[in-house]
Amino acid sequence: MEKKDELLKIFSLRLRTMLSKIEFDYEKLQEIRLRVNAPMLVIYDNEEYFLTTLSKLTKTDTDSYIISKNEIRETMEYISNYSLYAFEEEIKQGFITITGGHRVGITGKAVIEDNRIKSIKHISFINIRLSHQIKGCADKVIPYITNKDNNCFHTLIISPPRCGKTTLLRDVIRQLSDGSEKRPGLTIGVVDERSEIGACYMGIPQNELGIRTDVLDCCPKAKGMLMLIRSMSPRIIAVDEVGSGEDIDAIEYVMNCGCKLIATVHGNSIDDIRSKPILGKLVRERLFERYILLNNQGEVGHLEEIYDERGTRIY
Amino acid sequence: MLWIKIIGCILIITSCTGMGWYFSSELKNRISDLRDLRKIIILLRGDIRYANTPLPEAVQALSVRQEGKYKVFLSEIAEKLNELGGKSFQSIWKETIDKKLDNTSLSKKDLEHLGQLGENLGYLDKDMQINTLDLYLSQIEEEIKELTRNVKEKTYLYNSLGVMGGIFITIIML
Repeated sequence: MEKKDELLKIFSLRLRTMLSKIEFDYEKLQEIRLRVNAPMLVIYDNEEYFLTTLSKLTKTDTDSYIISKNEIRETMEYISNYSLYAFEEEIKQGFITITGGHRVGITGKAVIEDNRIKSIKHISFINIRLSHQIKGCADKVIPYITNKDNNCFHTLIISPPRCGKTTLLRDVIRQLSDGSEKRPGLTIGVVDERSEIGACYMGIPQNELGIRTDVLDCCPKAKGMLMLIRSMSPRIIAVDEVGSGEDIDAIEYVMNCGCKLIATVHGNSIDDIRSKPILGKLVRERLFERYILLNNQGEVGHLEEIYDERGTRIY
Repeated sequence: MLWIKIIGCILIITSCTGMGWYFSSELKNRISDLRDLRKIIILLRGDIRYANTPLPEAVQALSVRQEGKYKVFLSEIAEKLNELGGKSFQSIWKETIDKKLDNTSLSKKDLEHLGQLGENLGYLDKDMQINTLDLYLSQIEEEIKELTRNVKEKTYLYNSLGVMGGIFITIIML
């Protein structure tokens, strides 16, 4: 109920009323898409539905509810907490993370200055991707990324978008941090650049990340990783969606100073990552000791394969 | 009969003097209210400039630090903003000013300026917020300067006008 209210709060009053009449299982709700002068679309349990004027979900677009410009404006006002200025950096990247860790993608007219995106105005398309915390989704993975001395391997989670890599990372962090009867917990530092892992609200994680986890929220990954090493002396550093040159330099630093690293990256296979100019270097140098590949064949977050540093399949 | 006249005269003179005092103290209170408002705006500007804090959070934090009428005003705004009840920031801001600041010594013009500030808050980027707040601060500064420059003469004027007016009315009535 709480999750439902929290999510509905970001919609314009009209949409809020309509959506509240539908009985959703919010764990199965994946995406809600709003486009100006177009029907509202809901991705629910891997299927696409239209919202009708009578607050029903249907498969056909007849009698579907058309979103107006004003509704998008009102929704944006709530998403940004009446303060678009506070999300300047996020808007430049094209998305805002809201309470609950849900990601709101936005597009409209880009404002360019010196060949760089300065902002987005006339926001007309909104995509709300729901974040889900699935406790226990890392059960299969944990034995492969920890060794007998209760240490963790440098791990890279590889998956295409919408396959659950952040969800897996979140549960890996939780399980390693809490520990179990056989395995003592480890101190983990999380750099949560987009507030997706911990979904922090005023600095407090809303998702469970374990009792030995310190979260640095909204901080650029490269700077955050170095900061955490100096300030919180973690055994493991966890980050989401690495990719830039700066990130890779910081990852090398983390790996060379005795910390273990768990990171995620977009891709389909190890070869994909190997062919990337900067990140590929770390793969070729065999710095990562475990590669976890996900796909969404069948269900979101389906564990496909696990490889060791030599590229030998171990799962 | 004479006693009644004397009592009447005393009452008229006292009430007129009281009115004079009331106006002069209102003037002093207005200056103090404007100073408090300036302090709030400076804190709000700091919060936005330093931490990029969204308005509901910044207003809430401000309300905790304030006392009296401004505390009620700010906490009501924060509460309404957090409700996300279908109203724009501008209308919440203006409605709360009308409802919660009518017991202050701020003039109609002061309240109007404060209302106009709400029209531009939350809009566009951080620089825009800072510039809007700076502009409003300079307006308040000018107003305070203007008022303090004349406060001595005006309080003297109100006080003596009160007493003199009372005596004048008494003489006419006698």
